Amino acid sequence: MTVIKLTTQAYCKMLLHAAKYPHCAVNGLLVAENQKRKDGQPVLCVDCVPLFHGTLALAPMMEIALTLIDTWCKENKYVIAGYYQANERIKETRPNQFAEKVAARIAENFSEAALIMVDNSNISMGCYDPAISVFEHHDNKWKCRDASIDCCEDWSEAQKIMSALLEDRSYDSLIDFDNHLDDLRNDWTNPEINKSILHLC
Amino acid sequence: MASVSDMYDVTWEEMRDKLRKWREENYRNSEQIVEVGEELIQEHASKLGDDIWIIYEQVMIAALDCSRDDLATTCLHELQKQFQGSHRVKRLAGMRLEALERYDEALKMYNDILQDDSTNTAARKRKIAILKAQGKSTEAIRELNEYLEQFVGDQEAWHELAELYINEHDYAKAAFSLEELMMTNPHNHLYCEQYAEVKYTQGGIENLELSRKYFAQALKLNNRNMRALFGLYMSASHIGASPKASAKVKKDNVKYAAWAASQINRAYQLAGHGTKETKCSLKAVEEMLESMQIMPS
Repeated sequence: MTVIKLTTQAYCKMLLHAAKYPHCAVNGLLVAENQKRKDGQPVLCVDCVPLFHGTLALAPMMEIALTLIDTWCKENKYVIAGYYQANERIKETRPNQFAEKVAARIAENFSEAALIMVDNSNISMGCYDPAISVFEHHDNKWKCRDASIDCCEDWSEAQKIMSALLEDRSYDSLIDFDNHLDDLRNDWTNPEINKSILHLC
Repeated sequence: MASVSDMYDVTWEEMRDKLRKWREENYRNSEQIVEVGEELIQEHASKLGDDIWIIYEQVMIAALDCSRDDLATTCLHELQKQFQGSHRVKRLAGMRLEALERYDEALKMYNDILQDDSTNTAARKRKIAILKAQGKSTEAIRELNEYLEQFVGDQEAWHELAELYINEHDYAKAAFSLEELMMTNPHNHLYCEQYAEVKYTQGGIENLELSRKYFAQALKLNNRNMRALFGLYMSASHIGASPKASAKVKKDNVKYAAWAASQINRAYQLAGHGTKETKCSLKAVEEMLESMQIMPS
């Protein structure tokens, strides 16, 4: 059974997205490097593309985003490997029908696709625990794998950097696909935030 | 910690005007409102005149969003002192209880208001908000429908209902709610565009054609609405490739899709003018449109 791991950059950008819109549901994609993996080697999600905030369950913009980001992935030797969602309500941690549909669509192209739900109640300035639950596709259902610090490639680094980014209010400058549609000059690859994260490493 | 006025080199009048702008345009940038509003209240209260009361209300609500119960309580007390027995202030007290998840006490406050004044819409809407916060979507939808039977003109409520339906994946009812909004706001390109998105999501050739028409309408109302442009491209492309469409319909839609694609490319060219970063997304868009080129069969 393949394990999904997240780099610090992927983990941090995902949580920054949730932190930027605390009163909305948010979602986005996770990408991995497109390379042959040995048996048992985990899938490493190296980056995250934040997509939408607010009303998520509508198809057209999601289709555009998937197609566009798929094209971008091909140019950068990535593949879309997962989908994340943070629900609007703090206690609601289960994926809804829309999340399962999008994740299933991604799984058509990448069989080990993961569905990640952000655990809103675990987001804190101190980042004591990983604030995510990973769901994997078994027998047509999405089952939750026990959350543990194994989900991050380097949890102590991710923890330290996430804390610093939250203190700095870096989420103010995070760009998601919705922001990009509002103004095409907004860059959803977030190069500035990537630089900050690298800087803090 | 440096004050807002020092950090951003603004005067108290500019801070007050910013707050008014955020208030009038219904922004929910609560962290900023708390930062600016708290300083305004603490340092410049005497200069604000009667504006201070509405600022207390605005800052209080923002403080609830940021878990600043200390600040929220301060604002609430000032308002309670000034406007004793006011329903508007009582509703704010209820909101504070909601923020503390003391829903039963909040409900009692709202029911008290409604006993005194059964037409108080704010209290009714807060009760629905409590249902929403508790995850009771079906009840929230039912109560909201009842509310709208009485207050048919409440646009905020119709929009809330549309969003509740979308979250429940009940796209047909969401479309109906948006139709109400479009009837009363025929020039609002955002309602048109969202309606088109709902129709697209419902799927099927008739809904796709409707969706294309409404994306086109949204574009007519605002030719810079990128979502409408992308939506027009997607819906026309799907119809152009659909085996259920007649040859003429396919031909027409392929033309619409091609037009939309050229407009999308143009928009990206204009945006990418000069900057290195956007050149990569421009290239991605060009490739995406090329790869999706529908050949008329």
